Amino acid sequence: MADMPMQQPPGRIILPPHRERARRPFSVRAREWVRRNLFPSTGGTLLTIAAAVVLGLLLIGVLWFVFIDANWRIITVNRWLLFAGGFPREEAWRLWVGMGFVFLLIGLTYGTWSSFGRRDHLFVAVSGVFVVFIMAHGGTAIWSSVWFLLAVGVMYLAYALTARIPRELGPIRTLQQRVVGGLLIASLPLALVILLSGGASVRQLDGFVLNLVLAPVGIVGGLVIGIPLAIGRASTMKTISWTCTAYIEVVRGAPLLGWLFVALFILDDVIGGELIVRAMVVMAVFTAAYMAESIRGALQALPRGQFEAAHAVGLSRMQALRLIIMPQALRISIPPIVGQAIAIWKDTTLVTIILPLRELKGNADSAIAQREFIDDRIEAYIFVAVVFWAVAFMMSRISQRIERTLGVGER
Amino acid sequence: MSAAAPPEPAPVPLIHRRSFRNFATQGVYVAITALAFAYVFVSLDLREFGFTFLGEPAGFAVGSQWLVDVDGVTNSRLTMYLVGVWASIRAVLVAIVLSTILGVIVGVARLSNNWLVSQLAMLFVEIFRNTPLLVQIVLVYAVFLVGMPLIQDVINVGDFFYLSNRGVAMPWPVPSGGLWGLPHWFAGVWVLVLLAIGAVAMLIRARRQEQERETGIPMNANRRAFTIFTIGAVISYLVLGGPVAIDAPIIEGTKYAEGMVINPEFAALVVGLTLYTGSFIAEIVRAGIQALPRGQSEAANAVGLSNYQRLTLVILPQALRQIIPSVTNQFLNVNKNSSLAYAVLYDDLFRVATVVQNKAGHALEMFFVIIITYMIISFIISVIMNFFNARVTVHEV
Repeated sequence: MADMPMQQPPGRIILPPHRERARRPFSVRAREWVRRNLFPSTGGTLLTIAAAVVLGLLLIGVLWFVFIDANWRIITVNRWLLFAGGFPREEAWRLWVGMGFVFLLIGLTYGTWSSFGRRDHLFVAVSGVFVVFIMAHGGTAIWSSVWFLLAVGVMYLAYALTARIPRELGPIRTLQQRVVGGLLIASLPLALVILLSGGASVRQLDGFVLNLVLAPVGIVGGLVIGIPLAIGRASTMKTISWTCTAYIEVVRGAPLLGWLFVALFILDDVIGGELIVRAMVVMAVFTAAYMAESIRGALQALPRGQFEAAHAVGLSRMQALRLIIMPQALRISIPPIVGQAIAIWKDTTLVTIILPLRELKGNADSAIAQREFIDDRIEAYIFVAVVFWAVAFMMSRISQRIERTLGVGER
Repeated sequence: MSAAAPPEPAPVPLIHRRSFRNFATQGVYVAITALAFAYVFVSLDLREFGFTFLGEPAGFAVGSQWLVDVDGVTNSRLTMYLVGVWASIRAVLVAIVLSTILGVIVGVARLSNNWLVSQLAMLFVEIFRNTPLLVQIVLVYAVFLVGMPLIQDVINVGDFFYLSNRGVAMPWPVPSGGLWGLPHWFAGVWVLVLLAIGAVAMLIRARRQEQERETGIPMNANRRAFTIFTIGAVISYLVLGGPVAIDAPIIEGTKYAEGMVINPEFAALVVGLTLYTGSFIAEIVRAGIQALPRGQSEAANAVGLSNYQRLTLVILPQALRQIIPSVTNQFLNVNKNSSLAYAVLYDDLFRVATVVQNKAGHALEMFFVIIITYMIISFIISVIMNFFNARVTVHEV
């Protein structure tokens, strides 16, 4: 921009070909784009027509189902069951505060390390309409909509406040990063305190709230156990690397359902406690093996010279690990770690299968079991799928965003 | 570690020596691990530990039998479990094949020059990758239960295919006496003959390919092998008087009979696994192709290959090197994810195991059996895929 020739004589500036193409009128460009991307040849045209037919049929089918065929009353009538199930009603405000807390964190995180794009606003708007539609249907739950919109407001407020702070490194920026990072690390225990410090017991976590608790427990617990496991597997000390390898391979040998079977029948004798806590332990232990494998890949990808250089400047092994190796390895392994996080998010549905725990899918099963809605199981499961999809999709978008942000400055 | 250390002025204190520190660390580590194991060992009730309960009569029935016939009275729990293993293997095999086909098609479509096609492929991937497999399986099952007609109003395609809420029925080859009224095991003889002819055809193909490489004269190896196999198959079929007949399904009352019946449970499991895994394989295929230098594509265009030739002769063979390891991982996931059969009550190994545990207790033993079975199947999948991987990498010059 700076060396833009200011004293260019008036008239046509010749640009490189691709820029030159971009200067032609929109209608010409649009026509060319359509021709190149949709009707390049006879075969290509046929393909386009076939795809258009498929897409059209899909669209008609979806619209017909959503607006004409489906009976969404199963969702609106059972919204509390699906959302929080057995969570005590008089403690419901804790859920709203917890939701506000989560939205606050999202706003702070975006404001500190990223920025809302047009698609993010669209996503928020669509999910807002979705939630308000479900809540407003039937009329009595106006307040839930208000709470939800308030939480969204908190998110935007937090975002607006943090996004103001300039990104240049400085004491304020460092403080901001420390505070938000600290809040993120402390968020899980804080959220649990918000939910459970009153009359509700851990056993009453139910419905979608249970998914929302189980997944972070699995992810955070998986990282806390998985990072030492990955380091241990790469260790030169044989007993440590062997046992870590054995742990990882044995855990990955059986499906999560198998380990939940252990939680139900075997762990009772070993650690006891509430079933839901045992399920959380199993989720963390299970995720740890996969997290460790993701991080191990990153550790192997680091050049050996990093460790040797750290040694050469006189760092101890622990210091080298903490200051040189792990920061790099963790950054490389962000995509697979988020992949694992999405996997564990989807896997929280599994606690319903053999454990008597009812998360969102399990409560959808209870809704179907009601006499009135016996024929509406497709609607119920599609609702569950959409809810899980939205969260998983958001996670994968954040992951792409982080990858891009981290990739720019460092390579 | 410090073999060539120069003579040191003063000996390093023991506590600062790396060898001693490693030794001490491992000692402490082993002690803690052993204590943890001991604690688990003590807290478990192992007085009745043993596997003899697997030999007792089952006392329950399993559905989803195919080519086997077991009942809960005479057959042991172990037999029932093996029937479950067989059910799992069937589902995993079908799902692996279908998801690979689907994944390759969608992955290639994702990179299509045709905007609409690539958007459709992306839509598919984003939908099925980001929803729980469990929900996909129960959704397909729900579509069968609620969306399909009752068997009285079955969808009938030319008396060959039937579709209803009892599942899909289709024609299937079965042994028959044939023209000469031979015993049914002659169908097996025919299969052996087919295998032999196939082996001969492969040998001829290999020799012709060798000749083509040496002389440069096109030998049409594939076509020749195919012709030989087809002629051999037809002739042997006629000589044996038709040892295999196609058995078309029929409807008896409210049930399918004859033919091959795919029940809704199996269909839901396989379709769910296929869609879910297919979306992951599509992403792997896309990444594998994108990792190739653009020049490969351009060179293929320059020497005048068609789009299809470019894909099958130039792009996919090279991309396979990167694709196969990741796809192997997905296949291992299919194996483990097949345990979700439990949600639609398909009697796979995991479900049968839980039923056994329900009847007889012995949760710990059953868990050992489960995990070892999954590991064995995973091991077999890895061995086969490593074989393919080795074949693919051999081509690298």
